[in-house]
Amino acid sequence: MTDSHKPTRRSFLLVVPLGIFATIAGAAFRFLRPRISAATDRWLDVAPVNEITGSQPVGRKVVAEHIAGWAITTEAHNVFVLPARSNQVVSAICPHEGCEVLWEQQRNRFSCPCHESYFAADGARISGPSPRGLDQLPTRVQDGKLQVQYGLSHDEANRA
Amino acid sequence: MTKSLAVQTRIPTWAEATSGIVAMLLAVQFLTGILLAFYYVPSVDHAYTSVSFIEKVVSSGSWLRALHHYGSQWLSLFVFLHVLRLFLSNAYAERNAQWIASVLLLGLVMAAGGTGYSLPWDARAFFSTRVAEGLVGGLPLAGGNARLWLLGGSQISTLTLSRLFALHVLVIPALIAGVIVWKRFHWSNVQRNAIGAGVVFVALALWSFKFHAPLGPSTTEMTADYLPRPGAQFLWLYESLKYLPGGLGSLFALVLPGIGLATLIFLKWLRHGRLIGSVILGAGALLIVGMTTASYLSDRKDPRLHQQAAQEEALRAAPFTPALLNFSNTNQAGGAPVLYIKWCANCHGANGEGAQQGPLRFPPLTGVGAKSRRTVDDIVGLLKKPEAYDLQPPMRSFSEKITEAEMKEIAEWVVKL
Repeated sequence: MTDSHKPTRRSFLLVVPLGIFATIAGAAFRFLRPRISAATDRWLDVAPVNEITGSQPVGRKVVAEHIAGWAITTEAHNVFVLPARSNQVVSAICPHEGCEVLWEQQRNRFSCPCHESYFAADGARISGPSPRGLDQLPTRVQDGKLQVQYGLSHDEANRA
Repeated sequence: MTKSLAVQTRIPTWAEATSGIVAMLLAVQFLTGILLAFYYVPSVDHAYTSVSFIEKVVSSGSWLRALHHYGSQWLSLFVFLHVLRLFLSNAYAERNAQWIASVLLLGLVMAAGGTGYSLPWDARAFFSTRVAEGLVGGLPLAGGNARLWLLGGSQISTLTLSRLFALHVLVIPALIAGVIVWKRFHWSNVQRNAIGAGVVFVALALWSFKFHAPLGPSTTEMTADYLPRPGAQFLWLYESLKYLPGGLGSLFALVLPGIGLATLIFLKWLRHGRLIGSVILGAGALLIVGMTTASYLSDRKDPRLHQQAAQEEALRAAPFTPALLNFSNTNQAGGAPVLYIKWCANCHGANGEGAQQGPLRFPPLTGVGAKSRRTVDDIVGLLKKPEAYDLQPPMRSFSEKITEAEMKEIAEWVVKL
């Protein structure tokens, strides 16, 4: 072997560490690929229909299960029942940056404490940086109970 | 110097490849270890679930974990062969820094394996922790304190797992990196090292495809007749401990190897260094080969181990069960109370439907309220003293875990199922 061949031979041998690294990197890509953190699409009780009276939005908590890798987490989420829209239920999460809106009874509006988005009693956007009104959740009435799905559909709406 | 050259043993040239193979295996351990840490949780309530998730759900998880598991065993073997090769080529006298680095590496790699075995927190890990506790506690003079410091308290707890995790993923890798930075591996022949490393990697990769890293039953599911066996690099120790009187275990497992490694480090400055080194390495190799073979032979025909392997295979085939984490302080209307989810749901199911895990049958709780004698107070009594109701472990008394009011809250929900 002459000296002029040595660099070629040496760089050819780089194939070994690069090959090993590439093999593990390929597996690592599959291994680390993010998993969709889905909520289960169970119907969750909000309140008995006959408890929803008056015309003001009613704040409630629903407890939803989310599948997060090796865990199923149970988390409480704030929602509002809107009697102004025949008991449609909206999420309290502001479509802008995800803060939670509050109902201001005196001024008859929802306000977001973070960036001053405002929404009407029917959830429609009034002003502020929010791109749209409050997100509606799939709603139904079963055995006299108002129920919602706080699931994939809502998570997807948030990402949109 | 001339004299030591004169006694230099002829060793085959391909043996030079141990440097490259050890470097490759170390790189694989670092890479796969980093990846596993993306999912692993070092807490006794979630360690097993997160490892089981890696094993059963995550793409390539089983392969990466097998690479890490078997890689650590192969690494122990090749570091030992590397030390042997350096000794035979007189490195301890002529390339002393490299020799010392390699002996330190041998000790650190064994320590990494020892601490790593506890992390999955399955039955095997639990017993490995128990044995480590016993061996450390049995050390002369400092044993009692060393045990407390290792466990982080007076008994094995979630603190112990955190300590072993910190040692395994931070302290020992940092020391290994320090040793490597201090004295880089000597590449006497790049070509042989690269080819050797490549061949061993392909073999390890295929091996890890064919054989899963073991995952035994969780500590809550294991039965009293579970037979723990350590990884291949510790079989010699496991087998030897069978023959040693109790008090000598710590001396044999920790003190003797410690003295051996220390002697090897200072070999250059000892009179008759070559003889002493030959005795230590020869006796070590003989012990490891002999005891590992003995252990293999005694286990090979044990029907209980075959049965246990079949049970582990069934456990692996069972679907993954996620952990339940409750971040809401309200209960879903009609759903299980938080207390039930925390203390009961793991065995009796999220909605009291019962479960079968391996040989254990956890009875369903649905319909218990239909029996007229099962009142709320009666169920509270059962939670206090399950043995009075002819219930077997793992059902245990909750008297020391939760208050009577909390038992009542659980019972009030269960009775309505």
